[in-house]
Amino acid sequence: MTDSDNDTPSALGDIRVLDLAGEIGQYCTKLLADLGADVIKIEPPEGDPVRNLPPFYHDDLGPEQSLYWLNLNINKRSVTLSLQSAEGRDVFKKLATSADVVVESFQPGYLDGLGLGYEALARLKPDVILTSITGFGQTGPHARYKAPDIVGVAMGGTMWLAGEPADPPNVPPWRQGYISASIIATAGTLTALLYRDTHNEGQHVDVSMQEALSITQETAMQTWDMLKILRNRNGSRGMIPIDIPGIGVYECKDGHVYGYVGSPGGAPWSDLLAWMIEEGAAEDLTEEPYHEICWSLSLRFLSSIATDPEVAKKLGSLPHIDQVLRRFVATKGKWEMYEEAQKRRLLFGIVSTPQDIANNPQLQYKRWLTPVDHPELNDTLNYPGTPYQLSETPWAIRRRPPRLGEHNDEIYGGELGLSIQQLESLRSAEVV
Amino acid sequence: MAAKTKAVLDGIKVADFSWFGAGPICAEHLATFGATVVRVESETHIDALRTVAPFAKGKTGYNVSGYFNNFNAGKLSLTLNLNAEQSHGIALRLVAWADVFLTNITPRVVERWGLTYDKLVEVNPRIIACYQPMQGYEGPHRDFLGFGAVLTPITGYNYLSGFPNRPPIGLGTNYPDYVINPGHTLIAILAALHYRNRTGKGQRIECAQLESSVAPLAPAIFDYTVNGRVQCRSGNGLPNAAPHNAFKCRPLIEGSAALADERWIAIACFSDEEWRSLVEAMGNPGWACGDRFATLEGRKANEDALEAQIGAWRSDEEAYDLMDDLQSRGVPAGVVQSARELLDVDEHMKERGYYVYLDHPETGRAAYDGPPFVLSKTPGKLRSPGP
Repeated sequence: MTDSDNDTPSALGDIRVLDLAGEIGQYCTKLLADLGADVIKIEPPEGDPVRNLPPFYHDDLGPEQSLYWLNLNINKRSVTLSLQSAEGRDVFKKLATSADVVVESFQPGYLDGLGLGYEALARLKPDVILTSITGFGQTGPHARYKAPDIVGVAMGGTMWLAGEPADPPNVPPWRQGYISASIIATAGTLTALLYRDTHNEGQHVDVSMQEALSITQETAMQTWDMLKILRNRNGSRGMIPIDIPGIGVYECKDGHVYGYVGSPGGAPWSDLLAWMIEEGAAEDLTEEPYHEICWSLSLRFLSSIATDPEVAKKLGSLPHIDQVLRRFVATKGKWEMYEEAQKRRLLFGIVSTPQDIANNPQLQYKRWLTPVDHPELNDTLNYPGTPYQLSETPWAIRRRPPRLGEHNDEIYGGELGLSIQQLESLRSAEVV
Repeated sequence: MAAKTKAVLDGIKVADFSWFGAGPICAEHLATFGATVVRVESETHIDALRTVAPFAKGKTGYNVSGYFNNFNAGKLSLTLNLNAEQSHGIALRLVAWADVFLTNITPRVVERWGLTYDKLVEVNPRIIACYQPMQGYEGPHRDFLGFGAVLTPITGYNYLSGFPNRPPIGLGTNYPDYVINPGHTLIAILAALHYRNRTGKGQRIECAQLESSVAPLAPAIFDYTVNGRVQCRSGNGLPNAAPHNAFKCRPLIEGSAALADERWIAIACFSDEEWRSLVEAMGNPGWACGDRFATLEGRKANEDALEAQIGAWRSDEEAYDLMDDLQSRGVPAGVVQSARELLDVDEHMKERGYYVYLDHPETGRAAYDGPPFVLSKTPGKLRSPGP
């Protein structure tokens, strides 16, 4: 597809991507497709295994009904092709002569073994960009280690910081290791593309999930490097070493909110106290010693604990202040607490469920959920939207996610010029 | 380095009016690949991360935070009080000079400073102006306050993380600040630069942190919009693997119960073949050899019992030896590494040279996260420590 197929220009409308990526890289090729690239997904004849992963449309298992897969593959085209056979590799080489980018996530060396590594591709298409996304990158002693998402978030440091001390370290939800690797791979691919714009040269982009995740350790890496102090998982407190009233998870009538009262930028604790007084919920916090402490509670308070003995003496009152606040928040609904606190410039956020996200007034205002027709299902599905808006080159749904091999005829016949007979013999040899 | 390496973004100029994490990290990556990035701060509007720990041992002041420095390597810094009227002309001269303008400051303030897109194109029609508001420049929540700690729960990570018997505690960090929001923003800027190479046109980018952060949780949201199911946190499991969890190994110091000395290993079996290899690694114990655990369905149905048995088996093992052994047998396994392990122990990270050590005039030599991806012909480089 080129720009002329559509009135709206897209940022990557001149770019063709061959997508060999497994689960780790499909968010990368989704981002490229959503920016307008012509992404041709190359699936084995039996289909991409990610098509078999839940959740499914109406819980009905089937390769065209995985919601996980559909979301990752909208705006792409699909062909089937077996790289195991010599004929399949020949077809791939024909495709490669028109490719700007190839994205893959095989074990390092696998494509080289098939004669389809970077050097081979560059002979076919000198300015091709090959993006390789794996758990540990193309080089080093762990390069060939198996790395599903959980191994990435373990080795990359993300898990160490997540969870309650009494539990095992937590795995983040929905394959965040794959997400990070894919985001970094997209940035790497586009950086290489900008070099190609000015120098007409391609190159090999090497992405390691472990390296992509390292920076999610927040301050833990620097804290160990500079001070030899280790940050460990500590529940909801994050980088705050002790419990401070107004910071953390608070239970409401129908769910939770998360507070960060007292940090720079938001209204001070005294405003929260004023609100509690207004509603007759301040209890004895209007009396000393609590009243004065409420006025001084902030991140600065926290940083002076170690140095100021007067401040340290006040610590014993904090659990009581926290309990009074908990009783106040428990009388509120989570949306009420979130919106009312924000009106007062108090830093509280709703702990959103997926339902809350779908119903979030801000996302609804922006029309973030986008209906897409699925004629085969006789249904219209509300798809999650994009991370950003580009004013000149807006996101567009150009096509619903492809059915397995939907574009074999269009691409092999129409674009590569294979005859009906050739295509038929590839089919009977189970190459496509 | 002997030969001067080619930098991809040589000649690209970035006016970086951002602060905290999501903006500065994005601009740092641009600097790492050759862009000239000028940070704009002022004494009255200092980047608050300069005042957040960790600080270099025994040092105080605005230049010794490891948190700030790690996100700002390779940049130049300029102070300008944007609340002062005379500063506006200077800010616009910077915009006229730049290819890319970036800010994650709240819309209300950006408007007060006169730095909205319509004002910027008057002095630079080709500018790529990138805004990262918390919620958006329009809409009912546009003036809501927040930063990573509050954004993480708002965008669903807390509700979906951790074990179901716990409150929604989140991931222990301001998670979307570090890859998701800076990364999405970087992608949008790079795509816009490519479009400008083709057409000569700049544009306005809005990467609201709300939308950027919820996008990676799309499967849970889609499950709700299509099936009406409200997914909840469900621990460390996955529907298509068992076992799939972290298991405690021998502590770093024999007999220590300290959290910092814990050693955990993540083990996952997606296929029955991986499971059989794990059984072999465990020495074919009787409990593992029957039909009960032979298939994924069986292992999922008896997952608690399965994980308790594995937990009992590996508790005396040394985590790295176990990982190497399991990986050599084709079983996915990885040590749950802390920052200490990533910096000091992990031979793979060392061999790839991911962490970069830079000499800083005030902090001394310190570790930085290195280039996030490797380009074979035009590698990135952290050219100087945080300004």
